Amino acid sequence: MDQSPADTRDSAGWTEEVLPTRLTAIRESERKVLACLAALGYGEDHCFAVRLAFEEALINAMKHGNRMDPSRQVRLAYRISPERVEIYVADEGAGFRPDCVPDPTVDENLQRPCGRGVMLMRSYMDEVNYSANGTEVRMVKYRANPVRGFPESGRRC
Amino acid sequence: MMKDNIIQAMDRDGVTVARIRAEAILNEDQVQAFGQALLALADIPGRRVILNFLGVHHLSSLALGELIRLHKRLAESGGELCLADIDPRIWEIFAITRLDRLFRIFDREEEAVAALLGEGRAET
Repeated sequence: MDQSPADTRDSAGWTEEVLPTRLTAIRESERKVLACLAALGYGEDHCFAVRLAFEEALINAMKHGNRMDPSRQVRLAYRISPERVEIYVADEGAGFRPDCVPDPTVDENLQRPCGRGVMLMRSYMDEVNYSANGTEVRMVKYRANPVRGFPESGRRC
Repeated sequence: MMKDNIIQAMDRDGVTVARIRAEAILNEDQVQAFGQALLALADIPGRRVILNFLGVHHLSSLALGELIRLHKRLAESGGELCLADIDPRIWEIFAITRLDRLFRIFDREEEAVAALLGEGRAET
């Protein structure tokens, strides 16, 4: 069983965690984020969007950033208010240039395995910004903004 | 009837109907089990598979990669992969990634079965 990563909460409302590079370590953090969303009454569509982007960002950090190197870690921070969800993920890899990721939707890339995670993060979150070297990503989802393709159903997650 | 933890497959007149028995295919262990079960479906060359997504509410890009892999394997052996009963939120993921152009997608499993059986009869 995975140990829950140590997390701290600062005065600005950020919860910070340091995760080992192990994909199964994502689950407990995801559970806590979803519990926060549910407690604040976010709807199912927002929960779906945040869960997907959260998972994709951490998978990218571990697989493509840290290249599954167990000696490297992933720093995660999130702040969830009634108005918005902010997520920050940083890896210890060599970085990448997000604008150089091949477009997975063009015919020649349709069967290739790369680029879909970043595309889904950009599609489901309102803001996705990378640091200059590509090792850090910050994502924001505003409650007031509907999720792509889905006017907010109002059902709670 | 063949049984698997995450996929339940059955034969319907030469068409394999595979129903996914998971609410989410997001994280590593879910995707790994999903990928292994999908690869087992490609064991028979030329197999025509309908993958039923009823009850699947979360899917990550890792799972999409496994679907693409199965699609390629089946196509290489003269088979086919069709998808059916996809939750609107999951369908949106296929639309965003344009994989709705790669996969043949039906609203309902019965429509997919009827289409594939009809094509099978037309070819004989």
